[in-house]
Amino acid sequence: MTEYAPSLVRPSVRNALSRLERKLSSERVFGIALIAPMQLLLWFLLIIPTLIVIYLSFVRWEPRMGVDWWDAPFAFLGNYTRVITDVRFWSALGRSAGIVVVAVTLEFLIGMALALFFSRSFPGKRIMTSAILYPMMLPWVVVGLCFYLLFLDRGPVNYVLTQILNRPINVEWFKHPPLAMTTIILADVWQWTPFLFLILYSGLGALPKEPVEAAMTLGASRWQIFRYITLPMLKPVILIALVIRSLEAFKIFDVVFIMTGGGPGTATETISVYIYRVGFVFGQLSYAAAMAVLILVLVTMITRMGVRPLEK
Amino acid sequence: MRKTNWSQALGSGIRWLIGLLICIVVMLPITWVLSISLKPPEEWVAYPPTLVPIEPTFSNYIVLFQPGNPVGGVSEMVSAAQPVTRAFVNSLIVVPIATAASVLIGFLASYATVRFQAGGATLPLFVLTTRMFPPVAFAVPLLVYFRMLNLIDTQLALILMYTGFTIAFSLWMMRGFIEGVPRHVEEAAILDGASPWRVLLTITLPLVRGGLAATGLFVFILNWTEFLLAQVFTSREAITIPVQVSHYVGAVGRFYGPMAALGIVASIPVVVAGYIIQRYLVTGFTFGLVRE
Repeated sequence: MTEYAPSLVRPSVRNALSRLERKLSSERVFGIALIAPMQLLLWFLLIIPTLIVIYLSFVRWEPRMGVDWWDAPFAFLGNYTRVITDVRFWSALGRSAGIVVVAVTLEFLIGMALALFFSRSFPGKRIMTSAILYPMMLPWVVVGLCFYLLFLDRGPVNYVLTQILNRPINVEWFKHPPLAMTTIILADVWQWTPFLFLILYSGLGALPKEPVEAAMTLGASRWQIFRYITLPMLKPVILIALVIRSLEAFKIFDVVFIMTGGGPGTATETISVYIYRVGFVFGQLSYAAAMAVLILVLVTMITRMGVRPLEK
Repeated sequence: MRKTNWSQALGSGIRWLIGLLICIVVMLPITWVLSISLKPPEEWVAYPPTLVPIEPTFSNYIVLFQPGNPVGGVSEMVSAAQPVTRAFVNSLIVVPIATAASVLIGFLASYATVRFQAGGATLPLFVLTTRMFPPVAFAVPLLVYFRMLNLIDTQLALILMYTGFTIAFSLWMMRGFIEGVPRHVEEAAILDGASPWRVLLTITLPLVRGGLAATGLFVFILNWTEFLLAQVFTSREAITIPVQVSHYVGAVGRFYGPMAALGIVASIPVVVAGYIIQRYLVTGFTFGLVRE
């Protein structure tokens, strides 16, 4: 209990202060009441499911077996050894990682170029910067639909290529593995470059002007200013954007599901699509659970490494 | 002096042209979908393709909601698929309820974590883990779990999941708005003897109204566009619009017109919402880590 010197504090103020103290001690209770609904949801949707997925990954269980999952026979590490030796799992993981690297790099480079381009003022700039944002608001399935319609055998892309190359082009984009992958990456780049543009553009706008002006009076070139002043000052924003976008790109599912369904064969099957197929199409839930657990561990490890520079 | 004016004008003219070109490239994909949605069946795969429909028609939009009606030959192809009415009703029930619940629960929790560090300093970070992993990893155990609770193919299942998986955004977006409310305003009310609930509801809440609206629209976009969980957890009764889009794309017969029309209709609400909260898009997608 804090004591107030009676000679310095009038009784009315003292009363108010002790009332405040009582309120503060009840703040704890109040705070717990406020976070309780969220805690409940987290238990229900995060903690219990995580426990179940870990348990499932150690048993052998499929819904069609006719037993309840808690009665399923133990497989111990059986599911995990199967994942480790599953070529399809590693290829799918590799594809997701590849999409993250290629798509996010392209999004960053194009986004940066656009941000620098629009950072100078010219007529119509405001409306243009708004107009190019809409792809990031679209439903992912609609983005998939867009690119599906664009790359149809007799669609506009083949037609434009025919006109440009001046010979008939009838590429079946979704039937050739590298081309199918290209369409998926293009769809992701089209949808998410606006996000990197927006974050870099607003980041550029928020930078202090003095360092750049000082460098200009000292005779620094545009490239030097960008490389040694603008880029280092933008670094925190860039890192946050890249970490968040990479985590999102790694989840890629909707666009693939709509455009190729993972095909031809398994040529565009990303890790989300593969786990979806194993768990919900083939019905091997305990095997899907083992893969899910491995992904949880993997993503946690990689994110920790990616977030480390942010903590500085 | 005159020369610099000239080159400046030329420079901004060139910039305007390049900017326009960029806009056209970005606009083309959705323009193509819009164009197909307004074309009659003969034009869907006509070659050479035309950007502007030769005989524009709204029949693709009409058959979406009345697949029985014979509209220019489209209906036979669409009657194989379900009408989209059910998906619309489901989305219009599930998404607003889940969004309101997410924002409300997120706001309360956000207030408690900002003002009293309730749940410890790591709670907000822990909440972020719901967004870190591919949702399919949670879908596996949730399916097992929701089967036990008989929640498969129900709106309630989607409402619960959509509330839970967007709470991270609500919590983190609201943090910034709550931190913006000066503490002394609340303290003055406490000194006047107001209860903490009263302070929260009559002082803080009105001051963050704008923030609640922005967060709500952002979460609405996320929930309206969610596909994977809806695809796994619904089959007939509770399907949402994105699932309906995938049914159309996957259906035999390839009715591109209605497919495109559905894509356009599905996009309008979220694009409108997105432009209303344009200022907050960065804040939202980065969990308030980057603020404009």
